[in-house]
Parts: sequence; C-alpha cells; structure tokens
Amino acid sequence: MRSRLYPMFKYTVIALWACFVAGPFFWAMTTSFKNANAVQGGPTYLPWAQYEPTLTGWRNIFGGAGGVDVIDPFIDSAIVTVAASAISLALGSLAAYALSRYRFRLGFIKNSDIVFFFVSQRIMPPVVLVIPFFYLLQWGGLLDSIAGLVIVTVALLLPIAVWVMVDFFNGIPREIDEMAMLDGCGPFQTFVRAILPNSLPGLTVAAMFCAVFGWNDFFFAFRLTFTEVQTLPQAVVALNSSIPPWWTLSAAALFGVAPLILLALWVERLLSKGNLSGAVR
Amino acid sequence: MNLSATDLCLTVDGVDHLTNVTAAFQPGRLHTVIGRTMAGKTTLLRVLAGLQKVDSGSLTRAGADFLGTPVWQRDIAMVYQQFINYPHLSVFHNVAFPLKRAGLSREEIQRRVRQSLASVGLTDFEKRKPSQLSGGQQQRVAMARALARGTGILLLDEPLANLDYKLREQLRDEFKTLFSDRGETIVIYTTTEPAEAMMLGDVVLVMHEGRILQTGTPQEVYERPATTTVASIINDPPMNIFTGRLESGQVTVAGFQATHVSAHLADLPDGTYQFGLRATDVSLAVAGVEGVVAFVEISGSETFVHVAVGQSPFVVQIEGIHDVALGDLVRLRLRPDRLFAFDEEGTLVRTPSYDLASVEGR
Amino acid sequence: MDGLRRHKSMFLLPGLLTLFLIIIFPLLFTIRVSFSGWNVSHPQMDFIGGANYTAMLHDSRFWTSITRLILLAGGSVVIQYVIGFGMALLVWREVRGRRFWRVLFLVPMMTTPVVMAAIWQTIFHESLGPVNDLLGMLGLSSVPWLTESGPALVALMTVEVWQWTPFLFLLLLAGLLSLPKEPFMAAAIDGAGTWRTFWKVTFPLMAPVSVAAVVIRLIEASKLSDSVYVLTSGGPGSSTETPGYYLYIQGLRDQQTGYSGAMSLTYLVLMIVTLTVVAALLTRAFKLKGDS
Repeated sequence: MRSRLYPMFKYTVIALWACFVAGPFFWAMTTSFKNANAVQGGPTYLPWAQYEPTLTGWRNIFGGAGGVDVIDPFIDSAIVTVAASAISLALGSLAAYALSRYRFRLGFIKNSDIVFFFVSQRIMPPVVLVIPFFYLLQWGGLLDSIAGLVIVTVALLLPIAVWVMVDFFNGIPREIDEMAMLDGCGPFQTFVRAILPNSLPGLTVAAMFCAVFGWNDFFFAFRLTFTEVQTLPQAVVALNSSIPPWWTLSAAALFGVAPLILLALWVERLLSKGNLSGAVR
Repeated sequence: MNLSATDLCLTVDGVDHLTNVTAAFQPGRLHTVIGRTMAGKTTLLRVLAGLQKVDSGSLTRAGADFLGTPVWQRDIAMVYQQFINYPHLSVFHNVAFPLKRAGLSREEIQRRVRQSLASVGLTDFEKRKPSQLSGGQQQRVAMARALARGTGILLLDEPLANLDYKLREQLRDEFKTLFSDRGETIVIYTTTEPAEAMMLGDVVLVMHEGRILQTGTPQEVYERPATTTVASIINDPPMNIFTGRLESGQVTVAGFQATHVSAHLADLPDGTYQFGLRATDVSLAVAGVEGVVAFVEISGSETFVHVAVGQSPFVVQIEGIHDVALGDLVRLRLRPDRLFAFDEEGTLVRTPSYDLASVEGR
Repeated sequence: MDGLRRHKSMFLLPGLLTLFLIIIFPLLFTIRVSFSGWNVSHPQMDFIGGANYTAMLHDSRFWTSITRLILLAGGSVVIQYVIGFGMALLVWREVRGRRFWRVLFLVPMMTTPVVMAAIWQTIFHESLGPVNDLLGMLGLSSVPWLTESGPALVALMTVEVWQWTPFLFLLLLAGLLSLPKEPFMAAAIDGAGTWRTFWKVTFPLMAPVSVAAVVIRLIEASKLSDSVYVLTSGGPGSSTETPGYYLYIQGLRDQQTGYSGAMSLTYLVLMIVTLTVVAALLTRAFKLKGDS
C-alpha cells in the first residue's frame, strides 16, 4: 500500500468527499446572489462569468420588500437554545454527578438503569410527543410561547447532557470529592468548588451538543409555535418551495447555519485536544 | 480528645475488610499502622475520615460519637497515596482551599499558606499548577495543605509509596521534622515498610487481614512480636519462620540438630515449636541446615539469599556480594541465641536472650 | 455518610423529575387516546376499545412505511459508517491540511437538517438543479429526482448520508485519536502491513466505539421525518413516507388523534424492540471479531 499510488489515491478520495460535503454550501452561496433570471435560466455556478450577482436575496432576509425577516427568528432561536441548553446542563450535570458518585437502589433499579432512563428518551420520536405536548401547553397557556418551547426542548437536550456528563464525571478521581469534603465542603460545595471547575472540558462538549440539537430542532417549533414565536428553521422552511425565490431561501439558510459552521471550528479543536474521547467511551 | 475505635467491622461483598478493630489514638502522638497491601489500613483511615461506612462498631472522639459526624465536620486532613490535589487550582490556592472553607481572614490565609509551603520547601512554586510539578513536589503540596489547616486529626495513607527510593528516604527524614512539632494533633500514618513505621511512629499498630494484631511502641513490637505474622510483617526482609523440635534447649530443624543449646529456651517444655529468626541471624556455613538456593538478590552492600529448606523458605542476609548460584546446595547456620519461639498456633512464648530479663519480668 | 444520603437525592431528583414529568404526560395521554375515537370532527376522549389497533393492522401504508424506514435507516447508517470510518482513517495521521479537512468533514452534522434539506431540494430540482446539470455534462439523461419513487429514495438517502456521515466521522476519529500506541508498534515490529494492521489491530480496538456510534445513529435515524417533510413531503404519492411522516399526516394534518396514537405507540415499541435487538447483536458480533 505504501507505494507512490497511495498518496494520490488518498488525496483523490479526500478531495472527492470534500466536494460532496462542500457542494450544498457552495450551491447555496452562489444561489443567494442570484435573481429570478439567473435561477430560471437553468443551473449556473460562477458569479460574473455566468450570471450577474445581486444582493436581492440577502436584502430580502433582512426585512427588504417582499422578503422575510430572519432577525426575530434568529433571536427566538437563540433564546430557546440558550435557555434550554442552560437548564439541561444545570439539571443534567447535577443528576449526572449524583449518578456518577452515589449509589442508588430502588428495588431492582440501579444507577445504570437510571442513566439508561435518561439516555433512552432520545428514542422518543418527536411526532409521538408533539400532540400531547400541544394539549399540555394549550392547557398551561404556553402554546406559541418561548417558555413552552423551552420546556419541551429540555426533553430533547437533558438526555444528551446527562449522557456526556456521567462519562465525564466518572473520569474525575473520587479522591478529589473526598478531599474537598475533608477540607470542609458539604456535598453541594464539593460539587461547585471542586468538581465543576474541573469539568469545563466535559461541560463544553455537552454545551456544544445541546446547542446544536437545540438550534436544529424543527418539529417542536413547527407544531407548538406559530406567530408569536418563530424559530429560524421554521422561518427557512416557510420559504421552501419548488417555485423559486431560491435566492432568499439560500441566503436565509446560510444565515441560519452560519453560527453552526463556526461551531465546527471549535469542535475540531476539542477533538484535537482529546476532549471528545471521553464522550466516546 | 482521644479518638477511639471499638469493634469496627466491615464486610464488602463477602470479603472482610475490618474485623473487630479496636484502637485508641492519642493527641500529640504519631501512630503508624503497618501491614501488607490489602491489610485494611486504607479502609481503617477511610472509616476514621468518614468516607467509608462500617457494618458495626463504634468510633468516638473525646468520648462523643464520631460515626455520625459528616466528613466535612470531622476536622480531619488526609494525604493520599496517589498525589491528589485540586487540578484547577495553583499550588497557593490548593493549600489555601481548606483555609478559605474554614473562614479565615485573607491575611491569616496568606501567612499560613506561605509558612506551610516553606515547611515543605515549595516557596517558589506558589503559582504553578499541580500538573506542572514532579510527583514528589505534588505530594509536598498535599502535605502542605494537610498541615496548613492544623486539624485535630491528620491521616497519611502510605504517602511515600508512589515515590522513588531516594525521594522516599529524603521525604521520610523531612516528615520526622515536620511531625516533631504537632501539638495536640492525632497523626495516623500507614505504611508497608517496617523501617518507616519504626522510625516515625510513637505507637505502632500491626494490621493483617482486617485485624489489629498488636499495638505497642516500636521497640515493643520489634522485640516482642505477639505472633509469627507480626514478626514477619515488622521485619524486612520478613522474619524466617520455621517449625522445629525443642529438646532440653536444643533445637532440631529439618533433621539437623543445633550444636549449641539455646539458653533462653532451656526451660521451655520439650515439643514442636515454630521458631522465628531474622535474616541477619542466619548465615551460610560449612555445617548446618541443608537447603537449595532458590533466588539471590544483590543490593550491593548486602546479598539476600533465598533458600528452600524442605517446604520452608529462608532468607539469609549477608554483607557484601557473595557468589552463590541458583540450585546450589548450601548449609545454614542459625544463631541459637536469637531464636524467637512461638507455639504451634503462632503465639509468642519466648524471645531471644538479649531481652530475656524483660520477658521474665512480666 | 448520613449527610450524603439526603444530598444525593437533591442532586438527582431535579433532573430526573423534570424529564419524567415532561415525558410521562405525553406517554399516558397517547396510551389513553389510542383507545378513543378522537378525530377532527369528534374530539372526544371516549372509549372504543382496540378498534384503532385493528384498523392499524390492516393499514398497509403504515406497515410499508415501517419497512421503508428500516431499509432507509439501516442502509444509510451502513454507508455512513463505511465512509465515516474511511475518512477518519484518512485524516487520522499525516495528511496535508489535516485540520482543514477535519473541520470541513464535521460541518454538515452541525447544520440544521431541515434547512439543508431545503437547499438539497433545490439541488435535486429536475430542470433547475445542479445534479441533473452534472449528469448532462457526463452525457447522462435527467432523472426526475423528487417526482419518481426510486430516485426520490436515492435522493433522501443521499441527504441522510451527507448530513450524518460526519457524526460517525467525529466519533470514530475521536476514538482513533484515543487509541493506545503500543499495539500499533507491536504490529509494526511483527511486520504487519497496512491492511493486516487494520483488521488485526485498528478494527478490533475500535469495536466498542463503532458499536456505540452506530447504535446512537440508528436511534436518531429511527425518528427520520423532518427531512422527508421538506424534501419530498412523503411523495410522490406515499412512496417516501416514513412512520414519523405518516404519523404527522394522520395525527397533525388530518387530526386522527386516536388512530395516530395507536400507531405512535406501535411505532415506538417496534423501534425500541428492534434497536435493542440490533444493539445486542452488534455488541455480540463485534466481540466475537475482537476475540478471534
């Protein structure tokens, strides 16, 4: 395998896959600068060479005439994501710490069963939950509200937080807890002063996963919020149609995934530092 | 302010970790707990610290129940065998951590941290993180933190076990100074090494398989080991224990009858005994107990020859380097005046002549 | 330790109760409603016995969607695993521009599936999209990607592979990066070639990570419905419908609440059983490989 052909083969494969991965982004980018003429004339790729770029799409998404506003959905998405992630991280790391450090026994239920209960909630298809949630939120007067959406999003994110943090806490020597207690910390102080400050890598990974899954949720927002609250995925999907104002759609889509692309840079950093290996085991 | 344990028992998954452990620890004294690995030393410390529950028994501090006191109110500092420090805090803040919890003033904290770091020789390392220190330095940080608080109880769980030989000797000497001025603190120090236990301890507790076999001053334990097990634990290399016949003060081992009478055993009734003899009291000779060399360790200044005599293993410690090969047939001379005699259950019945007087005086 | 006994519940309970309360109501509601005739013209929690379940047994559209989901999810996860592992191996060690490739290969999993599905829809557009344009350049004829059932399934699978291969890439690369070095040195000393080293060292060592990653991905894939909604709306006809999407049609669009409740539960139970069995089988299969 270590012949001269191998590097060529390797870089060809990498390049092909890179094209496939980057393709949709390139297409969205180029489309976002088109107008009706450029789209309806059949596929074109290079601005200036093949079509005259305009800023129509980009103007449309920032409240231009005949367009949509993406700023409000962006804010709604951000609030829901940050709030639900924060709640999930707080409740999740407390629970994960308990599951990592203390023994629970309730009949046949052991620690591992409780962890499984948390994690297994990921198997729930949103479509199964959404109808009951609809009536539940309606009953609580929380339909079409940020608070309502945050509550149901916590159900999506809490399992992730618990899953990542249990593994992470298991990797911190128990002697650190013991020492903190000997040094005069009660259980809560031990957690806050000795364990949490040493958990930043784990918390970062958990926060990253929560943020991505929170930001990317569509189904709950789609069925549980309508006019008062609208998240970014909702706003973009509302633009989706086979009849093109593709330039607006593309601009909105890129705007919506831009924060996530930035996040990928950071995930790679975590990966290189080995902070993700704990989450894998 | 005594710390007294009475009949502590602990069984985990069918394995006995502590069995009827009774001990009294006194303020101002350093207690070394010596025992082999898995003897229950660490478990005992964890019980004293409140980190481990017991099945039965009681623990009192100054006469009041101590088992119900939460860890964080026990006024205990502990140094672990692994070098445990707070990874996120600098050396300074590691040592300051318990002081802050205790609510001391900023000036007092600074003063104590500096003093404590100076006493372990880490004055210039205040700003480093534990991960930027060597193992020995990390353990010094842990020591500094434990000392800075001035707790009523200080527990040290084989603090030198994970260090290399030279550092271990150096730190051991430093400990002697550090502990010399300990006021009313109860210090409990576990170790597997007889030399460490003897050198540091005011009181030595010998532990084996979850029990405390003997408690006494280093001299008492060394010169009058209560059982064969104690004798082998508190000697390094372990005391040779073997079975033999005693007839009118003359010992017969593996078919070889000693040419000399062991005067201090002369008045014991004839019969079968277990004898104990330190490795330094056995030597290679022209005539004596026959055995086969099983293993030779050369430390430079000394040679340890492991000899199989029938079923009994012997260790012979001789000065200098000796040319003995595996499988050689050798003869051992056992010093008759240095024999410890134990009955068949292993209980001490007679110690060697040099402290015959004190034994008879009891 | 008495202090701890009280505290440990205070750590666990807030999270446990929150999740339990959020989940338990929908579950009980769905169970109850599945025995009722609740629909759009008759929104009543009455009791009609197992009628919904009987109807479901004869609903071939539902069962076809389940089979389709199993094939779609299973097939795309296998492809994702193979490509993800391959790419992870390629950028694991010395490669020029390593960090750039790694970032790029991670990006799709971070991006919003429905949003990217909307972009993919324009890509697969029959006359205005670049896919058919590319096929044209290669001298092939246009494919009606989203309006014919076969090509529509291929399109759906392509989107899934694009979106989620990075997830397997991430977990497998993280796994590779945390492998011990010794077995590789031993293999090199033994003179094992690249291929042999992979099958005898890398692959067995990666078995636990592989199983975990594939199972997680299967769990997520079993919920597939959002991208179907955006990309094909289940069409043409019902040829790309997954249970998630069919439930959306029945329960939310047509408001057959009772009937969709029955299907929801069946779908959930089927997925739990299938995934448990698959997870157990995978664990066992990989273990055997690791031992031999």
